[in-house]
Amino acid sequence: MEIKSTAVAGTLESSDIQIMISKGSSDIQIDLESDVKKEFGKQINQVISSTLQKMGITAAKVKAVDKGALDCVIKARTIAAAQRATKTTDKPAWEVL
Amino acid sequence: MDSPVSEIHLRNPSDYKRWRNFLESLDIHNFSDKEVQKIDTTLAIFSGDDLVATGSLAGNTLKYIGVCNKDVVSGSRFNTIVSALVSREFQQGIFHLFVFTKIKYSASFQHVGFNELAHTDDAAVLEDGSPDVNDYLNDIPKIADQKGKKIGSIVMNANPFTSGHRFLVEQAAKQCDLVYVFVVNTDASLFSTSERFYLVKRGTADLKNVIVVNGGDYMVSYVTFPAYFLASSKDAIIYQTTMDARIFKNIIAKGLNIDVRFIGTEPLSRTTSIYNQVLQRQLPPEVEVDEIERQTTDGNYPITATAVRRDLKDNELEEIKKLVPLSTFDFIKANQAELTKRIKEGMNINGN
Repeated sequence: MEIKSTAVAGTLESSDIQIMISKGSSDIQIDLESDVKKEFGKQINQVISSTLQKMGITAAKVKAVDKGALDCVIKARTIAAAQRATKTTDKPAWEVL
Repeated sequence: MDSPVSEIHLRNPSDYKRWRNFLESLDIHNFSDKEVQKIDTTLAIFSGDDLVATGSLAGNTLKYIGVCNKDVVSGSRFNTIVSALVSREFQQGIFHLFVFTKIKYSASFQHVGFNELAHTDDAAVLEDGSPDVNDYLNDIPKIADQKGKKIGSIVMNANPFTSGHRFLVEQAAKQCDLVYVFVVNTDASLFSTSERFYLVKRGTADLKNVIVVNGGDYMVSYVTFPAYFLASSKDAIIYQTTMDARIFKNIIAKGLNIDVRFIGTEPLSRTTSIYNQVLQRQLPPEVEVDEIERQTTDGNYPITATAVRRDLKDNELEEIKKLVPLSTFDFIKANQAELTKRIKEGMNINGN
């Protein structure tokens, strides 16, 4: 699926994560900012990229600012941002969950 | 217990007074009308009746952020207010944000995803979102083996492009393998950004090693250097030009392997002359500054875009002919009515 515009989901408050998705060139590039990057950075990146791949997005630039979000939150925010970015919010991607 | 984030209205005198007292208690003191009038939205958090956190938006810039951390986990109110401000911007479709702040708060902003572009001893400028400065640099055309070549640069507003600008570009092009001409992006001049860009492009089309680029938000823009467009005190100019010079040196010049920045001597404009001095202090040794004597007319009067605009106001087309290349002259002749109309409607022609 193609990214049509930059879009965001999530906040910067505790236990949340803010995901911004914009057009990328060839693959999924993730720029992650997190207090627990050392411990969970790999895991967070993994959740974001696998969620995007399941939605059929192969090229995107992602900026994620994590404030201690659980995996389910990361997934939900990624899906919301991706659907906004691909302008497909009218067809919720339930099966990705 | 904190209230949810709500909007307050600075036009309301009691809101304004409360807001200002709160910020003053946090050591923020610049409340000039010029600054305050630019604010689009102000958000606040209250605890009981007390204002405990606030932040404002002006275009793509976050301003007047103040947070009291008494009795709460440090940083939680800051994150809440910045989060609310950022999502307001996103809702309006503004995805590229800036913040100008005291150096001691730079880390707090980096913590919520902002990247620092430059800092001085007391201030920092940061950006967030997309497209960011790396995207900007990636989009600029480059030549093979740029690192080993001599790369020159000029930043100009070119309002409009004159024979003086042309001379400066020619001199730079003679000395360098490649010259980037950055045209100021902020649209606050008599000639619009697209007109200025077009005239620079036309006026340098025959010079094969010159690339004309839009200066984006990073060179002499409202974000980094508002004093260029608004009359300001000397301190404000020095402080802003220092930031502008550091962004140029640390990010732009580094990203494009720029070796030299060419500037024209400035006998007339105070702001530009201070800017030139600051560039000479800040850029070397990484970037050499080459100041080139400004061209004069036969009558020994310096060629400036200001003179062109005055002649335009006075309807002296023949005078303009002596000051600009043919491409600019043709444009002015063809659009004289429209330009004169803009002056009549109050466009300032005596600034930059």
